[in-house]
Amino acid sequence: MRNSELQTSINDTDLAAPGEYKSVSRVALLGQDFRGVNLELLCQQGDKVKAGAALMRDAQRPRIVFTSPVSGEVAKIEFGARRKLVSLQIDVDENLDSICFSPAQSGSSAGMREFMLDTGAWSALRTRPFGNIPGPESEPAAIFVTAIDNDPQAPAAGPVMDLFAVEFRAAVNALVNVGASPVYVCHASGYRPPVDTSEQLHCQPFPNDYRMGLPGAHINALCPIGFAGKEIWHIGYQEVISLGHLLLNGTPWQQRIITLTGDALKRPRYLRALPGASIHELLADELDDDTAVTILSGSAEYGRQVAPRPAFLSAGQRQLTALSGSSVESPGSSDQPVIPTESLDAFAPPGIYAVPLMRALQVGDIDRARELGALELVEEDLAALSRACRSQFDYGLSLRRILDQLQGEYR
Amino acid sequence: MTNWQRDLLKLQLWALAPVSIAALFNVGYQYLAALANNPAIELDDIRSRITQGLGASYENPGIYDMLSAGFAHLGPTLAVALLTGGLWERSIAERRKRPFELNFIPVSILFTLLLPASVPLAHVVFGMSFAILVGKGIFGGEGKTFLSPALLGIAIMQVSFPGVSSSHPLWNGLVGYSGSDAIALYYRGGEAALTAAGINPWSALVGYIPGPAGTTSIVAILAGAVILLGTRLIAWRLLSAQLLGLVLCASFFVWLDSNSTGYTLSPAWHLLLGSFAFGAVYLACDPVASCCTNPGRWIQGLLIGALVVLIREINPTHPDAVIPVLLLASIIAPLIDHVVVALNIRQRARRHV
Repeated sequence: MRNSELQTSINDTDLAAPGEYKSVSRVALLGQDFRGVNLELLCQQGDKVKAGAALMRDAQRPRIVFTSPVSGEVAKIEFGARRKLVSLQIDVDENLDSICFSPAQSGSSAGMREFMLDTGAWSALRTRPFGNIPGPESEPAAIFVTAIDNDPQAPAAGPVMDLFAVEFRAAVNALVNVGASPVYVCHASGYRPPVDTSEQLHCQPFPNDYRMGLPGAHINALCPIGFAGKEIWHIGYQEVISLGHLLLNGTPWQQRIITLTGDALKRPRYLRALPGASIHELLADELDDDTAVTILSGSAEYGRQVAPRPAFLSAGQRQLTALSGSSVESPGSSDQPVIPTESLDAFAPPGIYAVPLMRALQVGDIDRARELGALELVEEDLAALSRACRSQFDYGLSLRRILDQLQGEYR
Repeated sequence: MTNWQRDLLKLQLWALAPVSIAALFNVGYQYLAALANNPAIELDDIRSRITQGLGASYENPGIYDMLSAGFAHLGPTLAVALLTGGLWERSIAERRKRPFELNFIPVSILFTLLLPASVPLAHVVFGMSFAILVGKGIFGGEGKTFLSPALLGIAIMQVSFPGVSSSHPLWNGLVGYSGSDAIALYYRGGEAALTAAGINPWSALVGYIPGPAGTTSIVAILAGAVILLGTRLIAWRLLSAQLLGLVLCASFFVWLDSNSTGYTLSPAWHLLLGSFAFGAVYLACDPVASCCTNPGRWIQGLLIGALVVLIREINPTHPDAVIPVLLLASIIAPLIDHVVVALNIRQRARRHV
């Protein structure tokens, strides 16, 4: 049904990464990207900031800072319910220069951590379980570099990494020094990532299946998480390139490579844009007509609908989909039953029994969900399942509730 | 009613279409053939009257004659089943304040296809009421049960009216609620008895042998299975496991019996006769009433296939055995899943970091 819409997809000629650069006048940091963090502002509206300047920090762990991706002026700080930060918006000023960080002591764990914390690159790391930003002192059991993206029509990770091979290699070599743990570069089978494997650095191919592109699947395959208090870190390949850029040049990498897809677009294609760029500016002059368009962050199959208010690219987002039509079916709460067909297994994270996990999530059975592997998962791993299941139940939401409760008793 | 429920209903009806058409032909053919043999056995019941009213003639019956005679027999059964199911569904929807679910329609069709063509209409009311009320109503409706409603309705008919098969002269005493038909014949007289009744592998495959209306034509069942498998509504693992279990167990019995009576059905006959093929595709593979893990599906399927053969061979009072076996398999499906999940959890715990 949706697949036919996707036929109007990216032409081969437009497929060349990295695509043209599209400038925007406003970017933002989004509060939703930093789960579990009590954000403390370090700037005010109207401040002039340089790219790389710390804008916010974690109130509990002040070493973790969130830096500005661009130079410009803080235009708006938007709060939501219970004074939670929704977005911190910056008007881009191209005449200002960036902060240039001093080179890292990348040979030592302490030096590397120091550098990542100072530059804000640390905030690109995520833990499993729970999907939080790791603590500055914590030790991972393994670090996973997600060098694969199997979302339909997402940017192909291989060509992007090849374009920025120097940065990628430098960052991965530096990540090895962050902890004593193994680093797994999870890449598409048939592709050779630009890294030099060693005893601590492994390359692991994964098949070209949507589910196999998610860190949850990689962790399940290589390093399943129990209840022993260990944690895994993972980081996306573009964030690794960004870290490499910081290591080599000392300045923030002011671009992300994304794809614009969907049948409402004049010309679906690759695009380079600032991290956190305004979605409405990115889509200006791109849509066929502005009447009824649904904008999804992510792919048409598994993406999340973008809220109507000013929207920005979120951290790690690599795809923007515009579909004609007013909305897509989004999961909500309902008491519709699950029809446990065999096809649901194809949407579940590999190694996890779909229907037993779905039932555990539906009734909120924390222990059973944990036993079945919930600690390896976050919302994105269940997006496909929520779409596929006819019950309209949002398994991601239920998983998050269960993870929140588990987090209290973990360790 | 949401879009997907409508799609699902459409799909179920499409999958039931081949067997329904085959059933019309088979019932019409059986009826007209029996009349041609002995016109005196025609009864003065509603079905005979409709047959006459439609002008079906038993002398050189053509397609129209067979179809209309088939309709005259299956039509009233289906109408009563639909009416009963719909009324119960309506009253449940009103009393429990739930949406009116249309899946009593496929349940009614399945139920009708599993009955002998001459079933008394009062029995249909009874069985269908049981199917809707106990089979799904008390569990909260579609998708919340753990048994296939049609299966439950047939099962209660089998235990409630075991002697009904011999009460009607028209169907040679062959067709009862237990679907015993040809298999019972085989145990009485071996291959010779089957040949005498006009049953050979070809007629069993195409489906002009006596039996519960929908279960006779293996070709039509295959067509339905293709639709259901193609849309991934039923699990191929469960279906293949059932076939595998049946063939393995039947081969074992043939091997045991290799030098004696010759009254052991070959695997091919097990497949062709009785309601195994129909049950395997349309009842056992109901996703709600079967295992929900892949290892569980294999175990359940092997169990069904093997148990059907075991009961058929060991217990002559249950010549068909499919319905009780499917009931048992549905009931223990959650147990199988429980064991599979428990093993999975232990396995995960062992390789955790």
